[in-house]
Amino acid sequence: MRDIHKVYADGTVALRGVDLHLSRGEVVGLLGENGAGKTTLMKILSGLLRPTRGEILVEGRPVDFRNPGDALRVGIGMVHQAFTLVPPYTGLENIILGQEAARALLPPRTGAARERVEALMAETGLAVPLDDPAESMPIGVQQRVEILKTLYRGTSVLILDEPTSALTPVEVDDLFRFLGGLRATGKSVVFITHKLKEVLEISDRIVVLRGGRVTGEVTADRATPERLAEMMVGRKVVPRVSRAPHAAGRPVLVVRNLGVAGDRGAPAVRDLSFDVRAGEVFGIAGVEGNGQSELVQALTGLRRPDGGEIVLEGARIARLNPLALYRRGLGHIPEDKARFGLALTFDVAENSILSRQAEPRFLTGLGRLDWRRIVTYARELVEGFKVVTPGLRATVRSLSGGNQQRLLVGRELSKSPVLIVAMHPTRGLDIASTVYIRELLIGIRDEGAAVLLVSADLDEIIELSDRIAVMYEGRFIGAGQAEEFSREEIGLLMGGITADGGARTSAPTSAPAAD
Amino acid sequence: MAVPARVRLPLLRPLIEQLATIIFGLVVGALLMLPFGFSPLRAYRSLLAGAFGTIPDLLETLAFATPLMLTALPFSVGVRGGLFNIGAEGQMYLGAIGATMVAGLLPLPAGVHLAAATAAAMLFGAAWALVPALLKIWRGVHEVISTIMFNWMAFWLSTYLAVNFLGEPGRAERTVPALLTARYPVFTEDSTLTAAIFVAVALCVVVYFYLWGTRAGYEIRLAGENPEAARYAGVHAGKAILITFLIGGMAAGLAGASQIIGRPPAWSLYATLGNVVTLGFDGIGVALVGRNHPVGGVLAAILFGALAHGGRLMEYEAGVLSEMVRAINGLIVITLAAPEIWKLVRRRSAR
Repeated sequence: MRDIHKVYADGTVALRGVDLHLSRGEVVGLLGENGAGKTTLMKILSGLLRPTRGEILVEGRPVDFRNPGDALRVGIGMVHQAFTLVPPYTGLENIILGQEAARALLPPRTGAARERVEALMAETGLAVPLDDPAESMPIGVQQRVEILKTLYRGTSVLILDEPTSALTPVEVDDLFRFLGGLRATGKSVVFITHKLKEVLEISDRIVVLRGGRVTGEVTADRATPERLAEMMVGRKVVPRVSRAPHAAGRPVLVVRNLGVAGDRGAPAVRDLSFDVRAGEVFGIAGVEGNGQSELVQALTGLRRPDGGEIVLEGARIARLNPLALYRRGLGHIPEDKARFGLALTFDVAENSILSRQAEPRFLTGLGRLDWRRIVTYARELVEGFKVVTPGLRATVRSLSGGNQQRLLVGRELSKSPVLIVAMHPTRGLDIASTVYIRELLIGIRDEGAAVLLVSADLDEIIELSDRIAVMYEGRFIGAGQAEEFSREEIGLLMGGITADGGARTSAPTSAPAAD
Repeated sequence: MAVPARVRLPLLRPLIEQLATIIFGLVVGALLMLPFGFSPLRAYRSLLAGAFGTIPDLLETLAFATPLMLTALPFSVGVRGGLFNIGAEGQMYLGAIGATMVAGLLPLPAGVHLAAATAAAMLFGAAWALVPALLKIWRGVHEVISTIMFNWMAFWLSTYLAVNFLGEPGRAERTVPALLTARYPVFTEDSTLTAAIFVAVALCVVVYFYLWGTRAGYEIRLAGENPEAARYAGVHAGKAILITFLIGGMAAGLAGASQIIGRPPAWSLYATLGNVVTLGFDGIGVALVGRNHPVGGVLAAILFGALAHGGRLMEYEAGVLSEMVRAINGLIVITLAAPEIWKLVRRRSAR
């Protein structure tokens, strides 16, 4: 792949000139933070996306993939992070889906296909139950079905997107053994991950992406976790927000032995305990998908915890709904403003009371909304938090992302909260809005509120936090005063490597958060 | 009631857009007429004259519009609340049954009687909407499936009741007529419009104020626009669904009543349900043309009424075949509804 650029339709620049080459019989680890462009690059290679600029050469000849079928024809296939199996179909049906000559109104002939799939299983050592429905298989087995499905189509370049994120350690070992075997047969593998240990274990060569560019390329034998971490996290030039040190007060939020299940029922947050105090920013760093979303949802009343306690200002709140929490002084800046925190087709005034619609100050008799007061309040928000909008009656969709977030943050801060839970508060924003919102968070901390900041942006965590914890696989793999960590250390911890050498899957080191 | 600050201007734009679309729809209809040798100009002139040309015609157009502005509400309020409620038809049948029972069999003093019959119809319609609502809330049953099934159940239940328990002695084809005390006053002798239209318009306006002027309405619209943001805002999803269904059921029930106690000459339900059947489904089209807005639905219903009533003059004055009249009306409606349908489809596929 040469000089690949990709600009999405909404203007997001995902790739800014990436070169990548891949030899026969080679495993390449593609490493990078969320949003570095790994998945976009591989979607281009597998024909799912078309590059804005740049070319792809296969054995010296330029190719133009219009769809994944084109890529498959030259032997490039991808296994996605979210599986694409048909849940009620059997393993065999899923593997041969779309590959059999269709017979109108009759089920496809599977006899010959079964033999070929069985031969493939024997050859690769990947065994799956062919007659069980996919929905009854564990995740690791489903993944094998996905891989077999891709190989069945004659793939010689296998792309795996975060293949280990849902697997148990044993399943990961199996996967790695299989990939080694695949390499021996002369096939190539691209392995997308953000876990340092894994990429070192399996790859021949490691390519690091950051911000849509290649920031490093090393062979595995010369790579060290420290070097990779540095290449991965890099440094961004956002003006720093000053944060005067001051003593933290009483604990506002107390979390004890919290367990929260993810969407699939597997534990996402495991036995977590920490405090957030008045007048401090407690920052939780970590690569996304390590339980942060579930943690925040549990703290903000959007997800019921499985066990443990959440105490806000002395009251147990684990079973309260969001409105009750707001009444008790919670402000919530959700991870995805357009998804959780705003209604895009509603206007600015309507959005200014979203989550405050039950407050008596915005109501008159019979549950009617007091539009005059709402509009006045919306105007205060717009002026007070420098929201640029065509008007109070303009839809929020017509605002830029930065101004949408200013409105949302303003709304949450104007609740005069005792606790602000902010997740990725500046993601995707322009620099001016980023700095402004960070200043606001520091401002409310200085006024004595407790701030829980969850972010995948390392700079943000380091810049704003008084105390830092790094979350990995549902636990804190490290926690302490902000000054105790170097950014490289945090980078290593984010990749699952502790200072003492660490393991890929965290041993039960439930790190105490108290300093 | 304090007028929300957004009442005036934001309504103007969709109105202008829809008027432009009507012209476009008329042009499309004209293109359909030309190859068959009809004169579009003559046809439309008679359509207009038939719908609005004389006072009785105008009133008759409004009489056609009355049930439709009501049956539009279950769908339009449903869409605002994130539901695809197509149960207006069945809820309307039950409303007609409720109105017939109280108006025809229960002697009450004047004044009270009319109100009681109206209330009974709304109650019956709401009750019929309650089951799909609860199925959705408790069991996650999709409302499209349940409301279609309930439409059929309502059809046969209503037919059964009309034939076996509510029939007028000696006249098998219809139920007992509404007693005189339970009839909405007629405007003039040469149209079928009654004061029921005031109740219908009032309900549409109340629903509008409810959706845009109250906390509960805000929460319903939020749940429809962005369910996750609604959760974030602490909206009880089940409550929003329940209210959405009940409003729709009441409106559909009232629509049924409007044809029994608010429409001469029958003042009763035909045993075939012939004087109410399809009004509920037509409401879906009315809602779409009215951009799923309660007040837009009133205007769209008048347009539907004009097409229905004026179309007759188009037939015998301009000589346009009745099939052609229906095709043209259909084309105009589809053209008008297309933007809203497109919006709904896009919203669905975006999820």
